[in-house]
Amino acid sequence: MNEEHRDTVNIDDSVHDIYKRLTEGNDPVDVPFQTMKDVFMWAASLGYQRGKRKPIRGNRRTIFRWAQFSPQTDIPLIKAMAIADSGDVDVLMSQEDVLAAVEEYANAGILSVKSSLLNVNRQNLWNLVELL
Amino acid sequence: MILHSMTLDNFRQYYGHQRLQFARSNKQNVTVIHGVNGAGKTSLFLALNWCLYDEGVDNIGELISKEAIRWAKEEEQVRTSVELTLIHNGERYHVRRTLCGRKEKNGTCEIESKEFIMLRTGADGQSSRVPNPIGTINTILPANARTYFFFDGEKIDNFARPEAAKEVKEAIYLILNLEILKRAKRHLGNVAKDYRSELKLYSDAELNELIENNEKVRAEQEDAKDRHEKIEKETASARKKIEDISAKLRKMEDAKILQQRRDYLEESLQNHRVDLDKVTDQIRDLATGGYFVTAYPAIEKALRILDVKRERGELPSGIRESFIKDLIEQMNCICGRPITDGSPEHNQLLTLLKSQLPSTLENDIINTHADLLLFKEWVERHQQDLDRVRQQRSSLIEAIHSHEAELDEIQHQLKDPSLEKVSELETQRAEFQADIDRYNVDKGKLEERIEILSQETEKLDKQIKQAKKEKRQAKLLEKKMDLAQKAADGIDDMYDRFADEIRQNIEDETRKIFKQLVWKESHFQDVRLDENFNLEVIDRYGTPARPDLSAGERQVLSLSFIAAMSRISDGEAPLVMDTPFGRLSSQHRNNITEYLPDLADQLALFVTDEELRDQARQNLTGRIGAEYRLNFDHDTSCTEIIEDSR
Repeated sequence: MNEEHRDTVNIDDSVHDIYKRLTEGNDPVDVPFQTMKDVFMWAASLGYQRGKRKPIRGNRRTIFRWAQFSPQTDIPLIKAMAIADSGDVDVLMSQEDVLAAVEEYANAGILSVKSSLLNVNRQNLWNLVELL
Repeated sequence: MILHSMTLDNFRQYYGHQRLQFARSNKQNVTVIHGVNGAGKTSLFLALNWCLYDEGVDNIGELISKEAIRWAKEEEQVRTSVELTLIHNGERYHVRRTLCGRKEKNGTCEIESKEFIMLRTGADGQSSRVPNPIGTINTILPANARTYFFFDGEKIDNFARPEAAKEVKEAIYLILNLEILKRAKRHLGNVAKDYRSELKLYSDAELNELIENNEKVRAEQEDAKDRHEKIEKETASARKKIEDISAKLRKMEDAKILQQRRDYLEESLQNHRVDLDKVTDQIRDLATGGYFVTAYPAIEKALRILDVKRERGELPSGIRESFIKDLIEQMNCICGRPITDGSPEHNQLLTLLKSQLPSTLENDIINTHADLLLFKEWVERHQQDLDRVRQQRSSLIEAIHSHEAELDEIQHQLKDPSLEKVSELETQRAEFQADIDRYNVDKGKLEERIEILSQETEKLDKQIKQAKKEKRQAKLLEKKMDLAQKAADGIDDMYDRFADEIRQNIEDETRKIFKQLVWKESHFQDVRLDENFNLEVIDRYGTPARPDLSAGERQVLSLSFIAAMSRISDGEAPLVMDTPFGRLSSQHRNNITEYLPDLADQLALFVTDEELRDQARQNLTGRIGAEYRLNFDHDTSCTEIIEDSR
């Protein structure tokens, strides 16, 4: 990847509340997520799985940095999503392009996270387990 | 400011290049320029005003010498300029104003450009251009103050007219720089006003309300914590009571076995609950970290893309760029066979090298491919792990239900009325247990409330911090406003006192000079400049005599006032008077010529021969440092400045 690259991971400010709702609290059943990174990865995965992708059009908000991605699972996974999305390996040349693709999947997928977890009449953790 | 010299080029009737030098020594500080009516005294006076201030000219088209235009060829450029050399605060300045025109076919001259430059000559004799000439001239002698130094003698009775109080006041304020104080006062007053408006935006009420709210929220928080603590104590007490009852039941024959079983079940239930929490945490970790299971189709697709590319030879099959390079360099296959130049093997190696990706991307692809291959196993293991912990959870829930059911049954058995004492104790125990359950609900509610209040106080603390910061800013602003207002008031006070002091000084000086200059000195007892700046002459009968003053006497009074201002003012200034004695009788002329050279720093008189003769002329003789005659040529209508040999 290029030496010069952005290392911030951004979401649309308008969906920040969903991220907060799923990470702020002590009860693991009601608030299953411990990091915004995991919510983001779930959102991106669901976005990819459901073929939904949406550019960030509102204000961009940084929620974590590249270094928070786990090198064993997260980074290969987002690279896989970027390769699968573009159909080519050249996308790996640019961290910006990789991030942009994943952010767009997450921007669409977060709404699926919301509808699958928060809008179902059951505790959030069990709704999440049902997605697996 | 002292005038040094003036040079005219084609200015009005002064055709060609002409120069005059002003007298400026202490003893001989008078310059006299003689000229009959129409010879060009007023043009010379105009040249001075035009050069310094670009004023006094109604039609600049008439400034260029008609004679110069006449001699110019068609389309030829004609120019006029006036250059003044002056000395101010020990520095020498050259000021030059130029007007350029072009001669038209009809003989007139069309003005094309104007130029105004000012140079300052340093101690080393080098001249440098003054960047802001107009501003500099105004600091030397303000444009609106010039009329008090360069004036037409025939119109000089202005200050002595009855309605002149306003002009007298303006003159004093201008010449003595009181205007600066006035401006400073106005400016500081405006600054204070601006601060006051800004201060209105800050309000203490907001901060007070925030502090009040914060106190309320904190009080509620403390109260909730106290209640929580009390409930904790009540719960501990109820547990202690239950423990005591359990101890009694353990000793009672009828209840012993059931109580022991209950002890076991309760301990086991407690352990199951702890295990259930642990298992829930494990499920949470697996679920929140299990996104790769959902995204596995992406991994599969990426692997397929990588494999296809590799099959096509577009991606290295784990063969490194450096390895191929080594083979080509050594021209030896790994099996030991030599590779000859141009052989199919050699060409194959070259093709492989060409299709290589940049080494950083190549490494990235190789590593990513290797990493992605691991996911298949992880997905399977993740599914197994999740199934296992979910199974554990189900088992634990089942065990907990079973334990609770059995405990319920034990309680039911111990409440059997036939076991009188046991039943009574068990009932009490159940009541304590119900209390604990209620306490737990209350505690939960309180904890939730404490959390909300804690968030609220955190938010309020931030708001208070911000409001306090604004308050500090407001205090600073208040101090600045106060300072600006005090300074403005101080200047106001100083201004009034200073102005009054100056007025009195000018009054004294005007009185002295007037008495020197006026010939009926004994008739006029006093000269007053009252608080309203009315210049008044009091006669020997103690009555105001101004309405009865002759035109000449009014002129003398005005001149006395101007000379007084010039003496009170700090800076040097020349008095340039056009036709100064036209209206004056010989007695006045004699007095003025006797005393005026001492009253002014430099005196330039533009006179007719009639104005300056006999005693008046004699009075000035020792004081004249330069004398010129304006020689009007009737054939050319041009004037030549000729220095008089004395």
